[in-house]
Amino acid sequence: MSNTIKTDNNKMYNELNQPVKGVSLWLDAWRRLRKNKMAMGGLVVMIVYAAIALSAGLLPIYSFNQQVLDHQYLPPSSRSAGELLIEQKVELLSAFAAKEERELNKVELGQIEKLKERVATEKKVLLTGEEILVHQRVYHLGTDELGRDLLARIIYGGQVSIMIGLVGALASMFIGVVLGALSGYIGGRFDSIMMRFVDIMYSLPYMLLVIIMMAIFGKNILNLFFALAVVSWLTVCRVVRGQIMSLKNSEFVEAARASGASTRRIVFKHLIPNTMSVIVVYTTLRVPAFIMLEAFLSFLGLGVQAPYASWGVLIHDGVYAMTTYPWMLWYPATVMTLFLFSMNFLGDGLRDALDPQSKNKL
Amino acid sequence: MSKYIIRRALGLIPTMLIIITVCFFLIRVAPGGPFSSEKKIPPQIMKNIEKKYHMDEPLIQQYGRYVVNVLRGDFGPSYKYKDYDVNYYIAQGLPKSLLLGTISILLAVLLGTAAGMFSALRQNTWVDYTWMSFAVVGISVPVFVLGPVLMYIFSIRLGWLPVAGWIDEHGLKALVLPVLALFYQYFATIARLSRASFLETIRSDYVRTAKAKGLKTSYIMMKHVLKGASLPVVSYLGPAFSGIITGSIVVEQIFRVPGLGRHFVQSAFNRDYTMIMGTVIVYSLILVIMNFLVDVLYGYLDPRISYS
Repeated sequence: MSNTIKTDNNKMYNELNQPVKGVSLWLDAWRRLRKNKMAMGGLVVMIVYAAIALSAGLLPIYSFNQQVLDHQYLPPSSRSAGELLIEQKVELLSAFAAKEERELNKVELGQIEKLKERVATEKKVLLTGEEILVHQRVYHLGTDELGRDLLARIIYGGQVSIMIGLVGALASMFIGVVLGALSGYIGGRFDSIMMRFVDIMYSLPYMLLVIIMMAIFGKNILNLFFALAVVSWLTVCRVVRGQIMSLKNSEFVEAARASGASTRRIVFKHLIPNTMSVIVVYTTLRVPAFIMLEAFLSFLGLGVQAPYASWGVLIHDGVYAMTTYPWMLWYPATVMTLFLFSMNFLGDGLRDALDPQSKNKL
Repeated sequence: MSKYIIRRALGLIPTMLIIITVCFFLIRVAPGGPFSSEKKIPPQIMKNIEKKYHMDEPLIQQYGRYVVNVLRGDFGPSYKYKDYDVNYYIAQGLPKSLLLGTISILLAVLLGTAAGMFSALRQNTWVDYTWMSFAVVGISVPVFVLGPVLMYIFSIRLGWLPVAGWIDEHGLKALVLPVLALFYQYFATIARLSRASFLETIRSDYVRTAKAKGLKTSYIMMKHVLKGASLPVVSYLGPAFSGIITGSIVVEQIFRVPGLGRHFVQSAFNRDYTMIMGTVIVYSLILVIMNFLVDVLYGYLDPRISYS
């Protein structure tokens, strides 16, 4: 607000004497964010990811835990699994035949015919209870070692990963903001005890603790949330405390107090909005950090457990299979990296857009 | 200053004690233990085993015994691998992990600062754009993606480098991929940090004064800019060290490096109490000592900070 001058007919000008509309913090930030192409690109990608993850149940994809053991390690293709099976069989038998320098013999042709018949007629009851011609299934991104559809696993795994990122970031933000604001506002002994505690927590090698906690207390999602929340509110707490402390005595708060604003008004209209930008930026940047953390744990075998998947689990599985079945690594890795990319760009863009220094500048 | 250093160094002792205490009790409160297995062990034998490892004593007594032993430099016997004690495994694994970590952090700092400096000097040219796109990729690609991808390209497809293993089998070639995977993210962050801070320092008043005096650019860079601009990098070193440690755990898994990280993960799975404690203590010790050195270095570089 400091660089805006108000005139009598209620029009506002910034210090370059350009007329500006009186806008809220968020509208102002949004205007600046819209100019940042990379951040907007990141936002669009985020929305697409969120839409896919939220509507996963409605999309025409297979179940993430339906195993079809005949369909192990099928490569990505837009043709049906049956066609791929037949093709693999023909290729294999022809290779044998070529080695012995002969045409396919009767037995082999018979085998192929038999497979063709099986492919055309074999039915299977799925986990959902419906019965389908199982070899008609199409795996656009291939299958894994148990014949599960990789596309479905990436989408449902994304659901899990994004949820962990969001819940983790929100939980750590909530704990951090409450404790940080209290600490900064109350001050005194409460503050010094809190900060001592935070200092001690900081000195612990927290990733090692998380690993130990996961290994010892059991590897379920609730424990994962707990372990992540316990270690991650520290920085938010410190940042918010610092913000509140520096703002508490700043001129605009004094001015507000001098013009008779109530404490509530000062806290909600002046202090919180000014720390909000920091909090939002920090939370946005925390989401990819949490997703990485979860993936890191899953990679060590300590995160999300089968039959559920997360991007970390899929990458972990992909690493073991990549020599012969590289798609199992490429697709999950690409999907996750793209997400982290966009999150980082969005976070950077938000930080620039919400910077109070650039208020009312275009 | 020296007073501050001594006080700060003495502060390491309670920190380490807190870490040891928290870990010790955290591990012990969980149900189950290193000897609970699928196979049912007769109670008499179980009792003997517990007696051998002093696990029949009250927890507090065990804790006291452990701390005293650790202060003597004895991490106790491994509960899972009967033939050797924890000291043996740490002596086996630590040098490899240290080598990996040291090379990575040194490369990250040197290359990162250099990349930041050249990008700042040639702002908005192709030099700048090239380095910064490298950096952006590095920040978004996690180590457990980068490692396997590098392995796939350079070891499996091109066959230039060994897939996994250590120096004793493959020579120095074995170091290339693990170091690349481990150092990239920190290189990227340091490059971005130092670019921003070089840009700021170059425009500061004291550098302008130096230029106005007619000093050579290279002299200004080395004498004036480098010191001021390296502050944000130095303050990032603390998080970088802890990141390198956790990162090395994954890198050691991917490239099958027989270092400390693999022992740590394995022991967490095995509930090998003494092994977990031993590895955590070694990691924490490295971490707190590094953080201490960073603090001291920071005070030396930034004369505005007064320690009283």
